[in-house]
Amino acid sequence: MLLAVLLQVVAVVFALHVLGLSLVVRLEDVRGAVGTARRNVRAVTPIALTLGGVLAVNGVVRNLSVELSWLIGVNATELIHALEGRFVADLQSLTTPELTAYFSFVYVFGYVFLLTFPLVAYALHDDVRPLYTLLLSYTLNYGLGLVCYVLVVAYGPRNFMPELVDSLLYANWPRSQVLTSQVNVNTNVFPSLHTSLSVTVALVALRFRETYRRWLPIAGFLAASITVSTMSLGIHWLTDVVAGVVLAVASVAGAEWVATGPGGESELGRGPPGRLASWLRKPP
Amino acid sequence: MRERSSLATRRAILAGFGSAASALGAGCLRRARNLAGWQSPRQVQLRIKTLPVDADPYALKLARTVAGWFRAAGIDVSVVPMADQELSRQTLLRNDFELFVMRLPSRFREPDALYALLHSRFADAPGWQNPFGYANLDVDDLLETQRRTDGDRRRAALTQLQTTVARTQPFTILTVPDDVRAVRSTRFTNWRAVDLDAPLGYLTLERRSETDESGGDSTLRVAVTDRRATENLNPLSVEYRRDGVLTGLLYDPLAREIDGELVPWLADAWTFSAERQPVARVTLREGVTWHDGESLTPEDVAFTYALLADTTLGADADGTDAPVPSPRFRGRSSLVDDVRVVGDRTVEFRFVDVIAGVGARAFTVPILPKHVWRDRTDPASIGGIDLGPVTDALVTNNIPPVGSGPLRFVRNTPREGLVLERSDEHFLHRPEGSAGSLRARAGEVSFDRLSILVVGSNVTGVEAVASGEADLTGTSVGAATVPRIGRTDEVDLLVTRSETPYVLGYNARRPHLNNPRVRNTLAGLIDGQHLANTVLSGYGRPAVGPLWATQWYPEALEWSNGNPVTPFLGSDGKVDRRRARAAFRETGYRYDDGNLIGGST
Repeated sequence: MLLAVLLQVVAVVFALHVLGLSLVVRLEDVRGAVGTARRNVRAVTPIALTLGGVLAVNGVVRNLSVELSWLIGVNATELIHALEGRFVADLQSLTTPELTAYFSFVYVFGYVFLLTFPLVAYALHDDVRPLYTLLLSYTLNYGLGLVCYVLVVAYGPRNFMPELVDSLLYANWPRSQVLTSQVNVNTNVFPSLHTSLSVTVALVALRFRETYRRWLPIAGFLAASITVSTMSLGIHWLTDVVAGVVLAVASVAGAEWVATGPGGESELGRGPPGRLASWLRKPP
Repeated sequence: MRERSSLATRRAILAGFGSAASALGAGCLRRARNLAGWQSPRQVQLRIKTLPVDADPYALKLARTVAGWFRAAGIDVSVVPMADQELSRQTLLRNDFELFVMRLPSRFREPDALYALLHSRFADAPGWQNPFGYANLDVDDLLETQRRTDGDRRRAALTQLQTTVARTQPFTILTVPDDVRAVRSTRFTNWRAVDLDAPLGYLTLERRSETDESGGDSTLRVAVTDRRATENLNPLSVEYRRDGVLTGLLYDPLAREIDGELVPWLADAWTFSAERQPVARVTLREGVTWHDGESLTPEDVAFTYALLADTTLGADADGTDAPVPSPRFRGRSSLVDDVRVVGDRTVEFRFVDVIAGVGARAFTVPILPKHVWRDRTDPASIGGIDLGPVTDALVTNNIPPVGSGPLRFVRNTPREGLVLERSDEHFLHRPEGSAGSLRARAGEVSFDRLSILVVGSNVTGVEAVASGEADLTGTSVGAATVPRIGRTDEVDLLVTRSETPYVLGYNARRPHLNNPRVRNTLAGLIDGQHLANTVLSGYGRPAVGPLWATQWYPEALEWSNGNPVTPFLGSDGKVDRRRARAAFRETGYRYDDGNLIGGST
């Protein structure tokens, strides 16, 4: 079952990549793309390895961190519910079957596409900074997200108010849960990593909007859709989404700061943060 | 209830009085002291702990409906969902709860099982031993009486016991659900006759050999939402066991109950003496072996009962430390005084002061291999630090398990799956030997392997059965999945009456809930019929006591147009606020701006 779902996701996302490349990347941007890509990949190897490390650690300690979070975390479901009440239920009451189908699609396929496509596109571009910033932001997202998951135990609206909120994604496409349960646990809802990573992509697209002019509107629209879908499908609370946006802004700002130093390019190399930055950056 | 906040308010009030006093002099100080002796009024607060929807189709909805009714009576209620193991840990082990909504295990369908559930001597014991902290001297006496008497006297004691319990409400039965399962009839049949909540149910399945779609492989694949068995197969674990179906297939007891009758299983036969404290001689079946090839001896039997009574095995024989009994099977092990080996196939049971019929219940605990478990009697520790009164035997994950049951362990993948296989050495599966008549009654394992597949939610479980990746859902998937099951060809809906009701447990150690009248009034805010009709969509029915529909159930407790003991303070699922308030005022509480206030906190 897992393999079938995985193949489906890979096939759809591959098709989206082809479509995306033809839409977003103009030929004159990527002349000598192979050479550029090779150079870029070399330049971002350290940070890519760091991200890989964080993801690997994440995968290994996920089960461990669930145990740990039951031990030391705060069970915040009731608190979040008291904070925002029936917002998600009201939002869900506005959706139609067509919208639900769309949201289910972007939640799974759109999300994977949104996260992977800019990596490919930026790798083909002369300027290495967007690729580098994006990778670093992902790393910060996952790292900080993991800490939050340990500290906060909470169930999403679909698990807390079933009489008001339907678990639309899993009701419409039960197999998707086989996939999502591989990458996440149902107590890890605060913050919404779907939101934070999507918004991160959109923010980086905004910051480097000159790189690919047609990417920003696509990234922005997809990120907004995914953000709404997390709530509309009953998976996340508004609180999680807000926290996700905060995490995204913090991650991108942090990545910018590491990339350029606190006062801009000239500060690079001063003090431990600067040295760390310069090591991570490893200018091409 | 919330100690910290109460302390904080008290401090704030005292501080306020303090500054006022210093400003106004000694007369006022005296008045302030007089006032400080009085509690400031606070609204009654309660928290209900229960399972999230992914883990149980109804528990959270039930809890939220009950919370709504309590709120209507002016109580500040919140619902806290948590994972299976965590819920068991917080409620059954640490007693850290005010209210919980859980399913009462099916073993409490027997009168003497109530002894462990409700006797005050177990109020401090972990596990399903009086988790409510309930203490009622009359109930204690009646529980003792029903163990010692027979016939009409026992029946009278049980009637009085159930009536008292229904009035004093250590727990409220919310509803008795029907278990809804999706099953695939293409590979196995006889589903209708099968009780999948009991180990023996898996022995009555029949294999459909002529149309075996996967070419000779006969693995029974079970989709479950409960992942605990993939991580732990310790029959003594409190927080990892639900009803012990899988461990019941891995481990054999001396006797199993079949159709309401206790039938010798590992035992060949037994005889009881007619004394006041009966003695039983139990002969074991010949040639029984453990899954690792060692033979099962009377020493194993004697060891098992000694271990259940004290998992340290009296390591500190000087008696300085208290014994650490196994929380599971505590009710049954408490029936046994002593077990001795008296022959190479015979053991002698000395019972405490009970009738033989009750004492024989002790034969249904799983027999454990001495050569594996004797090394687990040390205090459990992490990195050399002792963790208090708990032994390795209680916390080991026991993987791989060495049992003697009809199935044996093959492999596990934590959180994902578990594979067991048919043990050909088991006496049910050997053509020769004396088990022929037993096989006729109990059936045998008709599949080569049993594969447990963990799924994320009930809907995913149904989907796994629909797509042919599983043969059945092992746990109830809930009424909401019924249309989905109906839509799929080859998948049948299996609805069975369950023996495990949903209960609202009260922690009688906590303020407000320590007052039986408060519990009785709270029970009056619950409409069992409404819960069965709406939350369970009709797949369930209300009940008053845990022994409903048994021969021991008094007629006065039958549900007739409402709960006969704690009638609902409202109608059609709506609490009548006026009546609810009147009831609480009679209990000594009062209302301030619609909030319930009072009691001694």
